[in-house]
Amino acid sequence: MISDITLGQYFPGDSCIHKLDPRTKIILTVLFIVTVFLVNTPLGFLTILLSVISLILLSRISIRVILKGVKPIIYVLIFTALINLFMTKGESQPLVDFYFIEIYKEGIIRAVFMALRVILLIIGTSVLLTYTTSPISLTDGIESLLSPLKKIKIPVHVFAMMMTIALRFIPTLIEETEKIMNAQKSRGADFSSGSLIKRAKALIPIIIPLFVSSFKRADELAVAMECRCYRGDKNRTKLVKLEFRGRDYAWFGIGLVFLAAVIALMIIPSHITGILPETVYNVFFYKI
Amino acid sequence: MTKLEVKGVSFLYGKGTPFEKLALDNVSVSFEKGKITGLIGHTGSGKSTLVSLLNGLYKPEEGEVLLDGVNIWQKPSEISKIRFRVGLVMQYPEYQLFDETVRRDIEFGPRNQGLSDEEINERVNEAIRFTGITEDLLEKSPFELSGGQKRRVAIAGILAMRPEVLVLDEPAAGLDPRGRREILGGLSDYVKESGVTLILVSHSMEDMAYYCDNVVVMSDSKVYKAGTVDEIFSSATELEAIGLDVPVISKIASRLKACGIELEGKLYTVGGVRDAIINYLGGNAK
Repeated sequence: MISDITLGQYFPGDSCIHKLDPRTKIILTVLFIVTVFLVNTPLGFLTILLSVISLILLSRISIRVILKGVKPIIYVLIFTALINLFMTKGESQPLVDFYFIEIYKEGIIRAVFMALRVILLIIGTSVLLTYTTSPISLTDGIESLLSPLKKIKIPVHVFAMMMTIALRFIPTLIEETEKIMNAQKSRGADFSSGSLIKRAKALIPIIIPLFVSSFKRADELAVAMECRCYRGDKNRTKLVKLEFRGRDYAWFGIGLVFLAAVIALMIIPSHITGILPETVYNVFFYKI
Repeated sequence: MTKLEVKGVSFLYGKGTPFEKLALDNVSVSFEKGKITGLIGHTGSGKSTLVSLLNGLYKPEEGEVLLDGVNIWQKPSEISKIRFRVGLVMQYPEYQLFDETVRRDIEFGPRNQGLSDEEINERVNEAIRFTGITEDLLEKSPFELSGGQKRRVAIAGILAMRPEVLVLDEPAAGLDPRGRREILGGLSDYVKESGVTLILVSHSMEDMAYYCDNVVVMSDSKVYKAGTVDEIFSSATELEAIGLDVPVISKIASRLKACGIELEGKLYTVGGVRDAIINYLGGNAK
């Protein structure tokens, strides 16, 4: 079923991550993404891995749900890993040398860590942001973070409202698609067999009703908004005012320490090579 | 004779997610050949889920669905053939219309069956006769029609497949009284003429009492009670206990009974109660 897709879905809860201000989570997510792309040593990866695991535990979202979220990107993962495996040229002797296929030790290491990087990125951002933040508070957060742009006449509120509506209607559209698919299946439509052209044609009975009902829905929503005198953000007050609390500052602190630690791990090793035994250094601070 | 049987069926939505929900819990029920069986119950009692298991849209977690005694999931690759034999009209079916003309939309099902043009034409004519669609609508776009007309076209699209079992989920929801009577009356004529087995989901007790032979009452994902219309509507208290109603006329009849007026007969339709009162007063209803 289409509704099995969990990537990008919100899971209500009351863990400490759920309770954070959405702006905090957005900023921390940006920090996290930067960190994941900066990190280039196994020790750094270990740090990120541990922090992602503790995020999962703190959010109290079941591991099964999280793994299900990674499932749809498994082919992308395999593809990037294979590209890295075959395209990376190393200095040492290739491990496999079969006609035009050459695999180096560096390639294997890079493929593994690339895959790990993508997995950590997906899990980390979804636990920190999408799984634990309702779409409404997410757009509220974005609107508030972007509000300085209002000074240069960018209609931030309108964009935020459009995003809220778009996010709000994703589940509705998924449900609608499933309903229409079921209706057409009941009339003997077949979506999963035949040539590519035949399959594309089989989508017409789904796409047309979906468009028709989406336009109708948009019309109805617009009328409903006008009936309640919606006029953009002029004189509009909010039900829930975003406010940074103690826990938000605490989490900022944790985030900065985390980023600093990873950057430190990138810089420091060259100074302590003399202190640590060579083998330890080679394992933990190997540059990927 | 049993045409379609559901045996010990359970079904879960969203298995393995925090939203997991048991929609059907060990449901067993059978539908008699050539009869109209009504399916009533609250919103969320599992009616629509049960209905979508009947033609194999979903596969039951446990239990089996037997069509003429054969499990419909015996050959999963041929499930689409089952969907031609058990025709399902879903709730608010007008959203499924997509083709350029009404005719082509009704033809969609039969074309998927791989029938000849001649056969398809004959079936379309039959389908529009029972659903009350006039010929002049056939060449119009389905999007130009009114809500009630769209509903008829959607039902005709399923009728044209000539299923052996016809399942309709709230075919008259949101229509005016005349529209209801025409659609339900047409379907009931169709049953009489073709001998098809009809399963009707509805919220209206009046419709149930008037059109159905048997009634299945669902509550809390389970079958609460099943029997003939007589059996089901004779005990108002039982239905009221799960928050359902009996037809208004049954209430009047039971009030009269409480006043010591002995009525006998079909006390769930207006005609039945009328005859009973005439009989009670010493007249001859027939």
